[in-house]
Amino acid sequence: MNIKFKPTALSQCLAAGLVAGMFAAQVQANEDVIQNSFFPYKNEVPSHDGLSVGMTIDQSNVAQFKEVIDPAFYTFIENGWTSITVGETTSFGLNEGYVDATRSSVGKVSLGEQVGEINGWQAGRPFPQEPDANDPRAGEKLAWNYKYGYNWGDSAAISPFYWKYRDMNSGKVERTIKFNFHFLNFKGRVNQEPVPEITPNPSDLFRAIYLQVLDPADVRNTQLLIHRASDDLKRDNSWLYLGFQRRVRRLATGQVTDAFLGSDLMIEDFEGYNGRISDMNWTYKGTRDMLMPFYNHNDLELDTETHQDSDGYQVVAFSGQGGCFPNITWQLRKVYEVESVPVDESHPLSKRVHFVDAQTFTIPRTVSYDRRGSMWKTFTIGQAHPDYHLPKNKGTGVSIDDSFSMIDVQASHCTTGQFKGQVDPEMSPPQMFNVQHLRATGS
Amino acid sequence: MQTKIKGLRFWCCALAGSASLALIPMTTTVAAEDTRVNGYVENATYGREGVGLSKFRNTLQMELEKQAGNVGIFNNLKFNATLRGSYDGVYDLNDDEYGRNAGGAVQLEGTQGFVPHGGGIAPTPFLGFDINENPNDGMVVLGEHLHSQDNGVAFGVPVRPCDKDDRGCIQGYLDKDSNELRFSEFNDRADFIRELYADFDINFDNGNILSTRLGKQQVIWGRTDLFRVLDVINPVDYSRNNIYDELEDIRIPMWILRTDYRMGPTEVFDGFAFDDLNFQMVWNFDKFRPHDIGQCGQPNVILDAGCFFRGMNNLWENGGTVANFAGATPDGGLATDFGPGQIGIRKAHMPSWSLANTQLGLKMEGVYGDLGFSLNALTYRSQLPSLRGGIPAQNGFTGETAVFPSLIAFDIHFPRVNLVGGSLDYYSQGIDTVFRVETSYTSGEEFANTLRKELYSESDVLRYVVGADKSIFIPALNENQAFLFSGQIFGQHILDHEREQRTYGEAGIPDYEHNWTATLLIQGFYMNGRVTPKVITAHDFRAQATAIAPSVDWLVNDQFKLSLGGNFKVGTGARKFDDCRSCNPWDPFTQTPGVAGQQPGESAGLSSYEPLGRFKSGPIGMAQKEDEIQLTARYSF
Repeated sequence: MNIKFKPTALSQCLAAGLVAGMFAAQVQANEDVIQNSFFPYKNEVPSHDGLSVGMTIDQSNVAQFKEVIDPAFYTFIENGWTSITVGETTSFGLNEGYVDATRSSVGKVSLGEQVGEINGWQAGRPFPQEPDANDPRAGEKLAWNYKYGYNWGDSAAISPFYWKYRDMNSGKVERTIKFNFHFLNFKGRVNQEPVPEITPNPSDLFRAIYLQVLDPADVRNTQLLIHRASDDLKRDNSWLYLGFQRRVRRLATGQVTDAFLGSDLMIEDFEGYNGRISDMNWTYKGTRDMLMPFYNHNDLELDTETHQDSDGYQVVAFSGQGGCFPNITWQLRKVYEVESVPVDESHPLSKRVHFVDAQTFTIPRTVSYDRRGSMWKTFTIGQAHPDYHLPKNKGTGVSIDDSFSMIDVQASHCTTGQFKGQVDPEMSPPQMFNVQHLRATGS
Repeated sequence: MQTKIKGLRFWCCALAGSASLALIPMTTTVAAEDTRVNGYVENATYGREGVGLSKFRNTLQMELEKQAGNVGIFNNLKFNATLRGSYDGVYDLNDDEYGRNAGGAVQLEGTQGFVPHGGGIAPTPFLGFDINENPNDGMVVLGEHLHSQDNGVAFGVPVRPCDKDDRGCIQGYLDKDSNELRFSEFNDRADFIRELYADFDINFDNGNILSTRLGKQQVIWGRTDLFRVLDVINPVDYSRNNIYDELEDIRIPMWILRTDYRMGPTEVFDGFAFDDLNFQMVWNFDKFRPHDIGQCGQPNVILDAGCFFRGMNNLWENGGTVANFAGATPDGGLATDFGPGQIGIRKAHMPSWSLANTQLGLKMEGVYGDLGFSLNALTYRSQLPSLRGGIPAQNGFTGETAVFPSLIAFDIHFPRVNLVGGSLDYYSQGIDTVFRVETSYTSGEEFANTLRKELYSESDVLRYVVGADKSIFIPALNENQAFLFSGQIFGQHILDHEREQRTYGEAGIPDYEHNWTATLLIQGFYMNGRVTPKVITAHDFRAQATAIAPSVDWLVNDQFKLSLGGNFKVGTGARKFDDCRSCNPWDPFTQTPGVAGQQPGESAGLSSYEPLGRFKSGPIGMAQKEDEIQLTARYSF
């Protein structure tokens, strides 16, 4: 039987309503994804039995909090090397432009066939959905969220940036290196003009990092420039200017897994992970509530000696075993645990375990393992809320990298970092990120 | 190797000097946000085999920087000054090797036996010289530290500072007095002002920048270490430590205007764009300066050329005895006394300041994809001396003054050279290795040439360096950090090379037509990069001479660094080449025995170590007897 359906005004109205309803439902679903991804503490904050704001976790009570502390840091507290002061869990809301860019692209981004390929990304967080433990590529999606995160915003500078090399046994500071670091996103820009891309961009760069050593004399004027292509399958181009040679030298990738200027960090460690997605095999290990180094810089007792300037700014102080631990407070936060295993078998590491903050997609804690599988280094990057930092950082929606500690547990040695992070486009113009700038700046 | 310990006092002084650096209370860095004042004090103490103390240099260097910000149309205005002063105590502590008591009486070989300087034959009234004007004192035999006279050319060379003994001091070129040797920066070119310049930018609306540096400065071209293929704008002070110091420390800064037009990422036409593009103009408007090749009597005299020049100038000015000369055959000849103005070096023609004598360079440099590149062009004066024969001199047999063919009587010139070249760097992902290439083609360079009547000829020269850098883990030596391996091969091809076989040997250009030198740097890093052992090896393939320089740097703390190193050579040292004793300049009196029908000015190829063998030995071969232990302590503030 063939029934003819003649549309009536009523049926047309019903169909339109259905479509509109479906669209509205999709919009609502997408908005739920956005809200869940960027505002996880909107309705409630995590809690743990016995844990309260203001308390100190030390050798005496750490066992009670084993579930919310990563294994490396747990051992440090168990050994009596440091303690954790618990702070209130607060929202580190990212820049509105970044959230909006994510909102407009929800569901439009997908992975390519091989690791390192991504389709449909323009700006914002590419995969804001909750990771699915059954998705074999969930870890890779989280890695992309980090790579395309709002880590330092569209551009920023750490000026100055103090690295101290410390003997963890004696506490002796062996070396202090003073840097300026600069970051610039060429693509995926959401806030600072030009948006969304700086042009011309002949090599289709995604991001560039430039740093210059200010002190001490033997490495003064050493400069490093890293160009990261949008195509993740393409290797970084890196150049090093050596002050004592007054020459720009192109770097081989092997040199980015070497100790940078003798520190406990390799270039690949910068910001938690500073390499290609395709250099690693990524595995999502689960979602947990964990204590993470998030705090308000201005509420801390700061280091009065290392840095003084006309802003009255002071850097984070360090204490504990060997002076390797930042004097900060920690928040109980939602964390994704992600494991990265180097594709290259000659890589000095067998794996890294990253504890990725779910709201900001920064990587405040990483534990690295050597080729034998033994714990080698642990990396802490303290995150400061921009509204409680320098006045210029207020309202920028950037989770400010504000202190770091890279501990080589095998060598009982650490490198600590004290930042003056400044979200200020004037400090990182595009002209700074080309090779000629290295030559022009070197003297 | 046996190192001769000349006296305990030297080493006591050396160690005391080094240790005292650690105790010097220094002020901390003067730091305002727009001003920087830094510096260092350093003691470098070297001991040389068979000589004892060869360096006891104490240096104070100050670096001053003042940022002035934006002034009028100029952005990023900045002033920079680097001042350096040093005192090398070797001229006082080891003065019988390098100072006022250096040298002594010499004996010169002849078929009549060894004779003292002044004891050679003088069979005509025009030959012979006044021994009172040119006494047998304060001299060494040319090349004696490296080779015997061996039936070849030799003569006495004065070695004392020019205020103590002015014989052989070439006015305006190699004429340093005691204080200029001791305090090398305090001279009439004000070298204590090592750098003094202003930087400023002009920013254009399109984002391009005109970036200028004006003042006394170093301008560095090229991408390679050690070899100077494109890095030829500033002359170099080889008297400091031969070829082995960092070029930053031994380039001689010049008054230069350097302007870069920085375009950054640039689309040339649709679909073709550079990641970075830069045009540079360099105008070296300073009065010409040659390389400092070291004055005879200094510890570092590259190729021993300074000694050859000084001995030759002394022969011209005062006359002197030359070993194995008259009637020479491969079995030697008679030690002969020449008179003034007959053979030798008359003078150096130092280019005066004029617009025409300034030097101009252009460079286009950029990045295209994974390739870094530069194209370079430079017109400049050769910083190495060229000996041109063909000057009027007296015939030792007739007394006539004229230009004689192939007579070993020279003036020193610094000819105009034009250079074009380029460089590349490329990172190969497949083998994780960076390759660096640098090449130059020059015209106008001059080479000694015993086939020509003026004893020199011009040749175009092709030079290149190919370098590769790779980090390699060697777990047995260091589990945590890779070793840096950096290898380079340097090629030089003299395109208008001339050489012929003659009765007693080859004549022509002593330098090899094609030659290559390889270097390898291996560097490790321990104690968080505070202890860095390294070995630098250089091998000259045709000279068959190798230098090995192991060293360890220890950063005691951010301020204090100790470096202990050595510099050892293996392989062949002195080499022989046509010495022009058989060039027959004063025909028929100087015809070579055993050579039938020899024409005036025609070399029979009779060879010996001096003077041209040095070009076959090269800087490594000529320093075969200069093995050293080196200790340097630096306190930075």
